Amino acid sequence: MSTRITIDPITRIEGHLRIECEVDGGHVTNAWSSGQMWRGIENIVKGRDAREVWLFTQRICGV
Amino acid sequence: MKMNDLDVFRELLGGVSRRDFLKYFTIMASSMGLPLGVGAKMAEAVTNPKRPSVIWLSAQECTGCTESLLRATHPTLDHLILDLISLDYHETLSTPAGHQAEEARQKAIRDNKGKFVLVVDGSIPVKDGGVYCMIGGKPVLQIVKETAPQAGAIIAIGSCASWGGVPSADPNPTGATPVHEILKGTPVVNIPGCPASPYNFLSTVLYYLTFKKLPELDDQGRPKFAYGRLIHENCERRPHFDAGRFAVAFGDDNHRQGYCLYKLGCKGPETYNNCPSILYGDVGSGSWPVGTGHPCFGCSEKGVGFTAPLHALANIKYLTPNTFFTEAYPGKPETTSNIKALGAATAGVVIGAAGAAMLVGLGKKGNDTEEENKEG
Ligand code: SF4
Repeated sequence: MSTRITIDPITRIEGHLRIECEVDGGHVTNAWSSGQMWRGIENIVKGRDAREVWLFTQRICGV
Repeated sequence: MKMNDLDVFRELLGGVSRRDFLKYFTIMASSMGLPLGVGAKMAEAVTNPKRPSVIWLSAQECTGCTESLLRATHPTLDHLILDLISLDYHETLSTPAGHQAEEARQKAIRDNKGKFVLVVDGSIPVKDGGVYCMIGGKPVLQIVKETAPQAGAIIAIGSCASWGGVPSADPNPTGATPVHEILKGTPVVNIPGCPASPYNFLSTVLYYLTFKKLPELDDQGRPKFAYGRLIHENCERRPHFDAGRFAVAFGDDNHRQGYCLYKLGCKGPETYNNCPSILYGDVGSGSWPVGTGHPCFGCSEKGVGFTAPLHALANIKYLTPNTFFTEAYPGKPETTSNIKALGAATAGVVIGAAGAAMLVGLGKKGNDTEEENKEG
Protein backbone atom coordinates (compact mmCIF):
# COMPACT_ATOMS: atom_id res chain seq x y z
CA MET A 1 0.00 0.00 0.00
CA SER A 2 1.64 3.26 -1.05
CA THR A 3 1.09 6.60 0.59
CA ARG A 4 1.25 9.96 -1.12
CA ILE A 5 3.03 12.86 0.59
CA THR A 6 2.63 16.47 -0.50
CA ILE A 7 5.01 19.22 0.60
CA ASP A 8 3.78 22.67 -0.40
CA PRO A 9 5.28 25.23 -0.05
CA ILE A 10 8.92 24.16 -0.20
CA THR A 11 10.66 26.91 1.78
CA ARG A 12 14.20 28.31 1.59
CA ILE A 13 14.13 28.35 -2.18
CA GLU A 14 13.16 31.11 -4.58
CA GLY A 15 9.68 30.71 -6.00
CA HIS A 16 6.71 28.57 -5.16
CA LEU A 17 7.48 24.86 -5.38
CA ARG A 18 5.30 21.85 -4.62
CA ILE A 19 6.62 18.32 -4.28
CA GLU A 20 4.44 15.24 -4.24
CA CYS A 21 5.84 11.76 -3.79
CA GLU A 22 4.57 8.24 -3.48
CA VAL A 23 6.14 6.13 -0.78
CA ASP A 24 5.81 2.38 -0.73
CA GLY A 25 7.39 0.33 2.05
CA GLY A 26 9.84 3.09 2.89
CA HIS A 27 10.86 3.63 -0.74
CA VAL A 28 9.90 6.53 -2.94
CA THR A 29 8.29 4.94 -5.96
CA ASN A 30 7.24 8.03 -7.83
CA ALA A 31 7.64 11.81 -7.43
CA TRP A 32 6.39 15.02 -9.02
CA SER A 33 7.57 18.55 -8.66
CA SER A 34 5.69 21.57 -9.93
CA GLY A 35 6.21 25.31 -9.95
CA GLN A 36 3.11 26.93 -8.47
CA MET A 37 3.59 30.37 -9.94
CA TRP A 38 3.52 31.57 -13.54
CA ARG A 39 3.87 35.09 -14.86
CA GLY A 40 4.00 34.35 -18.59
CA ILE A 41 7.27 36.20 -19.23
CA GLU A 42 7.55 34.18 -22.47
CA ASN A 43 4.37 35.88 -23.66
CA ILE A 44 5.35 39.28 -22.30
CA VAL A 45 8.59 39.44 -24.34
CA LYS A 46 6.95 38.28 -27.59
CA GLY A 47 7.15 41.00 -30.24
CA ARG A 48 9.17 43.42 -28.07
CA ASP A 49 12.19 45.45 -29.14
CA ALA A 50 15.11 43.04 -28.66
CA ARG A 51 17.06 45.74 -26.80
CA GLU A 52 14.66 45.77 -23.89
CA VAL A 53 13.95 42.06 -23.49
CA TRP A 54 16.71 41.77 -20.88
CA LEU A 55 14.67 44.00 -18.60
CA PHE A 56 12.08 41.26 -18.32
CA THR A 57 14.14 38.06 -18.57
CA GLN A 58 16.59 39.39 -15.98
CA ARG A 59 13.70 39.46 -13.53
CA ILE A 60 12.72 35.81 -13.91
CA CYS A 61 14.70 35.24 -10.71
CA GLY A 62 16.17 37.86 -8.38
CA VAL A 63 18.41 35.55 -6.36
CA MET B 1 16.33 55.03 26.92
CA LYS B 2 17.95 53.36 29.95
CA MET B 3 21.51 52.11 29.87
CA ASN B 4 20.72 48.54 30.90
CA ASP B 5 18.13 48.19 28.15
CA LEU B 6 20.88 48.98 25.75
CA ASP B 7 23.19 46.45 27.34
CA VAL B 8 20.61 43.72 26.93
CA PHE B 9 20.25 44.90 23.44
CA ARG B 10 23.89 44.90 22.74
CA GLU B 11 23.90 41.22 23.45
CA LEU B 12 21.01 40.72 21.05
CA LEU B 13 22.90 42.59 18.43
CA GLY B 14 25.92 40.39 18.77
CA GLY B 15 28.20 43.03 20.23
CA VAL B 16 27.20 46.10 18.23
CA SER B 17 28.23 49.12 20.27
CA ARG B 18 25.66 51.46 21.81
CA ARG B 19 27.12 54.23 19.71
CA ASP B 20 26.70 52.33 16.44
CA PHE B 21 23.24 51.28 17.44
CA LEU B 22 22.02 54.79 18.14
CA LYS B 23 23.87 56.06 15.09
CA TYR B 24 21.99 53.59 12.94
CA PHE B 25 18.59 54.77 14.14
CA THR B 26 19.61 58.39 13.89
CA ILE B 27 20.50 57.83 10.24
CA MET B 28 17.17 56.10 9.71
CA ALA B 29 15.32 58.99 11.33
CA SER B 30 17.18 61.59 9.34
CA SER B 31 16.60 59.72 6.09
CA MET B 32 12.92 60.21 6.79
CA GLY B 33 13.41 63.89 7.50
CA LEU B 34 12.55 63.48 11.18
CA PRO B 35 14.19 65.43 14.02
CA LEU B 36 17.37 63.88 15.42
CA GLY B 37 15.91 62.87 18.82
CA VAL B 38 13.52 60.52 17.08
CA GLY B 39 16.40 58.10 16.44
CA ALA B 40 16.58 57.29 20.16
CA LYS B 41 12.81 56.88 20.25
CA MET B 42 12.99 54.38 17.42
CA ALA B 43 15.77 52.49 19.18
CA GLU B 44 13.52 52.30 22.23
CA ALA B 45 10.58 51.03 20.18
CA VAL B 46 12.56 48.09 18.86
CA THR B 47 14.14 47.22 22.22
CA ASN B 48 10.69 46.32 23.48
CA PRO B 49 11.09 42.72 24.70
CA LYS B 50 8.14 41.58 22.58
CA ARG B 51 9.54 41.85 19.11
CA PRO B 52 7.02 43.09 16.58
CA SER B 53 5.71 40.38 14.34
CA VAL B 54 6.15 40.60 10.58
CA ILE B 55 4.36 38.23 8.24
CA TRP B 56 5.68 38.24 4.71
CA LEU B 57 3.61 36.80 1.88
CA SER B 58 5.10 36.15 -1.53
CA ALA B 59 2.97 36.25 -4.64
CA GLN B 60 4.21 36.69 -8.24
CA GLU B 61 7.71 37.78 -7.36
CA CYS B 62 11.32 36.97 -8.19
CA THR B 63 12.63 37.26 -4.60
CA GLY B 64 14.71 40.26 -5.70
CA CYS B 65 13.16 42.44 -3.00
CA THR B 66 13.97 39.89 -0.30
CA GLU B 67 17.49 39.58 -1.68
CA SER B 68 18.09 43.30 -1.66
CA LEU B 69 16.88 43.41 1.94
CA LEU B 70 19.24 40.58 2.91
CA ARG B 71 22.17 42.05 0.99
CA ALA B 72 21.99 45.40 2.77
CA THR B 73 25.22 45.38 4.75
CA HIS B 74 24.66 48.19 7.18
CA PRO B 75 26.14 46.87 10.42
CA THR B 76 22.90 46.35 12.25
CA LEU B 77 20.60 45.53 9.38
CA ASP B 78 20.74 41.77 9.44
CA HIS B 79 20.24 41.96 13.18
CA LEU B 80 17.29 44.22 12.66
CA ILE B 81 15.59 41.58 10.55
CA LEU B 82 16.66 38.57 12.53
CA ASP B 83 16.77 39.85 16.10
CA LEU B 84 14.61 42.95 16.39
CA ILE B 85 11.66 42.15 14.22
CA SER B 86 10.12 38.75 14.60
CA LEU B 87 9.87 37.58 11.01
CA ASP B 88 7.28 34.94 11.73
CA TYR B 89 6.55 33.82 8.23
CA HIS B 90 8.53 34.17 5.02
CA GLU B 91 8.45 31.46 2.41
CA THR B 92 12.05 31.88 1.30
CA LEU B 93 13.50 32.23 4.80
CA SER B 94 11.30 29.99 6.96
CA THR B 95 12.75 26.78 8.34
CA PRO B 96 9.53 24.73 8.36
CA ALA B 97 8.10 23.63 5.00
CA GLY B 98 4.78 22.31 3.78
CA HIS B 99 1.96 22.10 6.32
CA GLN B 100 4.32 23.15 9.12
CA ALA B 101 4.98 26.42 7.32
CA GLU B 102 1.26 26.94 6.93
CA GLU B 103 0.72 26.25 10.63
CA ALA B 104 3.46 28.74 11.52
CA ARG B 105 1.66 31.37 9.46
CA GLN B 106 -1.71 30.64 11.04
CA LYS B 107 -0.20 30.76 14.52
CA ALA B 108 1.60 34.04 13.88
CA ILE B 109 -1.66 35.56 12.64
CA ARG B 110 -3.61 34.29 15.67
CA ASP B 111 -1.01 35.40 18.22
CA ASN B 112 -0.51 38.87 16.79
CA LYS B 113 -3.97 39.66 15.55
CA GLY B 114 -4.40 43.34 14.74
CA LYS B 115 -0.77 44.10 15.51
CA PHE B 116 1.46 42.41 12.96
CA VAL B 117 2.89 44.10 9.90
CA LEU B 118 1.82 42.29 6.74
CA VAL B 119 4.33 42.57 3.92
CA VAL B 120 3.45 41.40 0.44
CA ASP B 121 5.94 41.11 -2.41
CA GLY B 122 4.83 40.26 -5.90
CA SER B 123 1.64 40.96 -7.79
CA ILE B 124 -1.54 38.97 -7.29
CA PRO B 125 -2.84 37.11 -10.36
CA VAL B 126 -6.62 37.30 -10.57
CA LYS B 127 -7.20 35.64 -13.95
CA ASP B 128 -8.76 32.16 -13.99
CA GLY B 129 -9.60 32.25 -10.28
CA GLY B 130 -6.01 33.02 -9.26
CA VAL B 131 -4.50 29.66 -10.31
CA TYR B 132 -1.28 31.33 -11.47
CA CYS B 133 0.07 31.58 -7.96
CA MET B 134 -0.81 28.93 -5.39
CA ILE B 135 0.59 28.28 -1.91
CA GLY B 136 -0.34 25.04 -0.17
CA GLY B 137 -3.05 24.46 -2.77
CA LYS B 138 -4.70 27.86 -2.14
CA PRO B 139 -4.62 30.84 -4.51
CA VAL B 140 -2.44 33.60 -3.06
CA LEU B 141 -5.35 35.92 -3.90
CA GLN B 142 -7.42 34.18 -1.24
CA ILE B 143 -4.55 34.07 1.28
CA VAL B 144 -3.94 37.83 0.98
CA LYS B 145 -7.63 38.59 1.32
CA GLU B 146 -7.89 36.40 4.43
CA THR B 147 -4.74 37.73 6.08
CA ALA B 148 -5.12 41.48 5.43
CA PRO B 149 -8.11 42.19 7.74
CA GLN B 150 -6.10 40.81 10.70
CA ALA B 151 -3.00 42.96 10.09
CA GLY B 152 -2.09 46.18 11.90
CA ALA B 153 -0.41 47.63 8.81
CA ILE B 154 0.07 46.45 5.25
CA ILE B 155 3.12 47.16 3.17
CA ALA B 156 3.44 46.27 -0.52
CA ILE B 157 7.14 45.97 -1.29
CA GLY B 158 8.48 46.23 -4.83
CA SER B 159 6.92 47.44 -8.06
CA CYS B 160 4.98 44.18 -8.64
CA ALA B 161 3.07 44.49 -5.37
CA SER B 162 2.80 48.29 -5.63
CA TRP B 163 1.46 48.70 -9.16
CA GLY B 164 1.87 45.39 -11.04
CA GLY B 165 5.50 45.58 -12.20
CA VAL B 166 6.93 42.99 -14.60
CA PRO B 167 4.06 40.44 -14.49
CA SER B 168 1.54 43.14 -15.38
CA ALA B 169 3.48 44.22 -18.49
CA ASP B 170 1.52 44.02 -21.70
CA PRO B 171 -0.32 41.68 -22.37
CA ASN B 172 -0.51 40.88 -18.62
CA PRO B 173 -0.99 37.14 -19.22
CA THR B 174 -2.12 36.28 -15.67
CA GLY B 175 -4.16 39.34 -14.70
CA ALA B 176 -1.37 40.46 -12.34
CA THR B 177 -2.88 43.04 -9.95
CA PRO B 178 -1.32 45.26 -7.27
CA VAL B 179 -2.12 44.60 -3.62
CA HIS B 180 -4.00 47.86 -3.02
CA GLU B 181 -6.44 46.98 -5.80
CA ILE B 182 -7.12 43.59 -4.23
CA LEU B 183 -7.67 45.22 -0.84
CA LYS B 184 -9.69 48.24 -1.97
CA GLY B 185 -10.59 50.47 0.96
CA THR B 186 -7.74 49.24 3.21
CA PRO B 187 -4.69 51.51 3.52
CA VAL B 188 -1.64 49.93 1.88
CA VAL B 189 1.82 51.50 1.87
CA ASN B 190 3.53 51.09 -1.48
CA ILE B 191 7.33 50.85 -1.63
CA PRO B 192 7.88 50.50 -5.37
CA GLY B 193 11.23 49.75 -6.97
CA CYS B 194 12.64 46.77 -8.81
CA PRO B 195 14.00 45.86 -6.36
CA ALA B 196 12.68 48.25 -3.73
CA SER B 197 15.29 50.10 -1.69
CA PRO B 198 15.64 48.16 1.57
CA TYR B 199 16.05 51.43 3.45
CA ASN B 200 12.76 52.82 2.21
CA PHE B 201 11.13 49.64 3.49
CA LEU B 202 12.92 49.49 6.83
CA SER B 203 12.37 53.20 7.47
CA THR B 204 8.64 52.67 6.97
CA VAL B 205 8.58 49.68 9.33
CA LEU B 206 10.52 51.61 11.97
CA TYR B 207 8.23 54.59 11.62
CA TYR B 208 5.20 52.38 12.18
CA LEU B 209 6.78 50.66 15.19
CA THR B 210 7.75 53.97 16.76
CA PHE B 211 4.65 56.07 16.14
CA LYS B 212 2.05 53.29 15.71
CA LYS B 213 0.84 54.91 12.54
CA LEU B 214 1.91 55.05 8.92
CA PRO B 215 4.23 57.75 7.55
CA GLU B 216 2.76 60.45 5.36
CA LEU B 217 1.91 59.02 1.93
CA ASP B 218 1.47 60.56 -1.51
CA ASP B 219 -1.52 59.97 -3.79
CA GLN B 220 -0.05 56.64 -4.87
CA GLY B 221 0.40 55.38 -1.31
CA ARG B 222 4.17 55.95 -1.33
CA PRO B 223 5.94 57.40 1.74
CA LYS B 224 6.71 61.02 0.94
CA PHE B 225 10.07 60.88 2.68
CA ALA B 226 11.34 58.54 -0.03
CA TYR B 227 9.27 59.26 -3.11
CA GLY B 228 8.71 62.98 -2.74
CA ARG B 229 11.19 63.98 -5.41
CA LEU B 230 12.15 63.06 -8.94
CA ILE B 231 15.41 61.19 -9.50
CA HIS B 232 16.32 63.97 -11.91
CA GLU B 233 16.16 66.50 -9.05
CA ASN B 234 19.01 64.87 -7.16
CA CYS B 235 21.00 63.18 -9.89
CA GLU B 236 24.75 63.78 -9.82
CA ARG B 237 24.67 64.19 -13.64
CA ARG B 238 22.12 66.98 -13.46
CA PRO B 239 24.66 69.79 -14.06
CA HIS B 240 25.42 68.13 -17.41
CA PHE B 241 21.73 68.05 -18.25
CA ASP B 242 21.37 71.73 -17.45
CA ALA B 243 24.44 72.57 -19.50
CA GLY B 244 23.23 70.46 -22.44
CA ARG B 245 26.02 67.88 -22.28
CA PHE B 246 24.63 64.46 -23.22
CA ALA B 247 25.94 60.99 -24.01
CA VAL B 248 24.45 60.00 -27.36
CA ALA B 249 25.72 56.42 -27.66
CA PHE B 250 26.87 53.89 -25.09
CA GLY B 251 30.64 54.10 -24.85
CA ASP B 252 31.05 57.37 -26.76
CA ASP B 253 33.35 60.08 -25.44
CA ASN B 254 30.52 61.91 -23.71
CA HIS B 255 29.40 58.71 -22.02
CA ARG B 256 32.92 58.12 -20.76
CA GLN B 257 32.98 61.68 -19.43
CA GLY B 258 29.97 60.91 -17.27
CA TYR B 259 27.57 63.21 -19.14
CA CYS B 260 23.79 63.15 -18.73
CA LEU B 261 22.03 60.02 -20.02
CA TYR B 262 18.79 61.70 -21.03
CA LYS B 263 19.28 61.05 -24.75
CA LEU B 264 19.90 57.35 -24.08
CA GLY B 265 16.40 57.17 -22.61
CA CYS B 266 16.96 58.09 -18.95
CA LYS B 267 13.60 58.16 -17.15
CA GLY B 268 14.96 60.08 -14.14
CA PRO B 269 12.93 63.16 -15.17
CA GLU B 270 9.65 61.28 -14.62
CA THR B 271 10.48 58.83 -11.84
CA TYR B 272 9.97 59.59 -8.16
CA ASN B 273 12.52 57.86 -5.95
CA ASN B 274 15.54 58.57 -3.77
CA CYS B 275 18.08 56.28 -5.51
CA PRO B 276 20.67 59.04 -6.13
CA SER B 277 20.89 59.77 -2.41
CA ILE B 278 20.25 56.39 -0.74
CA LEU B 279 22.09 54.30 -3.38
CA TYR B 280 22.09 50.52 -3.48
CA GLY B 281 24.06 47.78 -1.82
CA ASP B 282 26.06 49.98 0.57
CA VAL B 283 29.18 49.87 -1.55
CA GLY B 284 29.86 53.56 -1.83
CA SER B 285 29.23 56.37 -4.25
CA GLY B 286 27.88 55.72 -7.73
CA SER B 287 26.17 52.46 -6.81
CA TRP B 288 22.88 53.12 -8.58
CA PRO B 289 21.95 52.71 -12.27
CA VAL B 290 22.82 56.22 -13.49
CA GLY B 291 25.95 56.13 -11.35
CA THR B 292 27.15 53.07 -13.29
CA GLY B 293 26.42 54.69 -16.64
CA HIS B 294 23.04 53.17 -17.48
CA PRO B 295 19.99 55.35 -17.89
CA CYS B 296 17.31 55.03 -15.21
CA PHE B 297 14.45 53.06 -16.76
CA GLY B 298 11.87 54.09 -14.19
CA CYS B 299 11.54 50.70 -12.49
CA SER B 300 9.56 52.17 -9.60
CA GLU B 301 7.21 54.42 -11.56
CA LYS B 302 3.83 53.20 -12.72
CA GLY B 303 3.36 53.82 -16.43
CA VAL B 304 7.12 54.20 -16.97
CA GLY B 305 9.03 51.08 -15.86
CA PHE B 306 8.31 48.01 -18.05
CA THR B 307 5.80 50.18 -19.92
CA ALA B 308 7.56 53.03 -21.75
CA PRO B 309 10.09 51.89 -24.38
CA LEU B 310 13.55 51.58 -22.82
CA HIS B 311 15.38 54.05 -25.07
CA ALA B 312 12.53 56.50 -25.70
CA LEU B 313 13.00 60.02 -24.33
CA ALA B 314 11.39 60.73 -20.97
CA ASN B 315 8.61 63.25 -20.45
CA ILE B 316 10.30 66.03 -18.54
CA LYS B 317 8.04 67.10 -15.68
CA TYR B 318 9.67 70.37 -14.75
CA LEU B 319 11.88 72.40 -17.01
CA THR B 320 14.67 74.43 -15.53
CA PRO B 321 14.76 77.90 -17.01
CA ASN B 322 17.93 78.36 -19.00
CA THR B 323 20.02 81.47 -19.18
CA PHE B 324 18.55 82.50 -22.53
CA PHE B 325 15.12 83.33 -21.14
CA THR B 326 14.33 87.01 -21.42
CA GLU B 327 13.99 89.04 -18.24
CA ALA B 328 10.83 90.62 -16.95
CA TYR B 329 12.60 93.94 -16.30
CA PRO B 330 15.47 94.19 -18.75
CA GLY B 331 18.22 96.45 -17.59
CA LYS B 332 17.05 96.55 -13.97
CA PRO B 333 20.08 97.90 -12.09
CA GLU B 334 20.16 95.33 -9.22
CA THR B 335 20.77 92.32 -11.48
CA THR B 336 23.98 92.73 -13.32
CA SER B 337 24.73 90.28 -16.13
CA ASN B 338 27.81 89.14 -14.20
CA ILE B 339 25.71 87.90 -11.31
CA LYS B 340 23.35 86.13 -13.70
CA ALA B 341 26.20 84.30 -15.42
CA LEU B 342 27.59 83.29 -12.03
CA GLY B 343 24.11 82.10 -10.99
CA ALA B 344 23.85 79.84 -14.02
CA ALA B 345 27.26 78.31 -13.37
CA THR B 346 26.61 77.65 -9.70
CA ALA B 347 23.05 76.38 -10.13
CA GLY B 348 24.37 73.02 -11.28
CA VAL B 349 26.74 72.73 -8.36
CA VAL B 350 24.03 73.63 -5.90
CA ILE B 351 21.70 70.99 -7.34
CA GLY B 352 24.53 68.45 -7.11
CA ALA B 353 25.10 69.35 -3.49
CA ALA B 354 21.39 69.06 -2.81
CA GLY B 355 21.72 65.39 -3.74
CA ALA B 356 24.38 64.86 -1.11
CA ALA B 357 22.27 66.69 1.45
CA MET B 358 19.26 64.49 0.69
CA LEU B 359 20.07 62.00 3.40
CA VAL B 360 19.51 64.73 5.95
CA GLY B 361 16.48 66.41 4.58
CA LEU B 362 14.48 64.16 2.25
CA GLY B 363 11.92 66.71 1.24
CA LYS B 364 9.76 66.64 4.35
CA LYS B 365 8.57 70.18 4.74
CA GLY B 366 6.60 71.57 7.63
CA ASN B 367 4.47 68.50 8.17
CA ASP B 368 6.10 67.00 11.23
CA THR B 369 3.47 66.11 13.72
CA GLU B 370 3.74 66.98 17.36
CA GLU B 371 4.59 63.38 18.21
CA GLU B 372 7.49 63.26 15.80
CA ASN B 373 8.93 66.43 17.21
CA LYS B 374 8.98 65.25 20.80
CA GLU B 375 12.43 64.40 21.95
CA GLY B 376 12.98 60.65 22.38
S1 SF4 C 1 18.19 62.74 -17.36
FE1 SF4 C 1 18.88 61.05 -16.05
S2 SF4 C 1 21.16 61.13 -16.11
FE2 SF4 C 1 20.37 63.12 -16.85
S3 SF4 C 1 20.32 64.38 -15.03
FE3 SF4 C 1 18.26 63.52 -15.25
S4 SF4 C 1 18.29 61.67 -13.99
FE4 SF4 C 1 20.43 62.27 -14.30
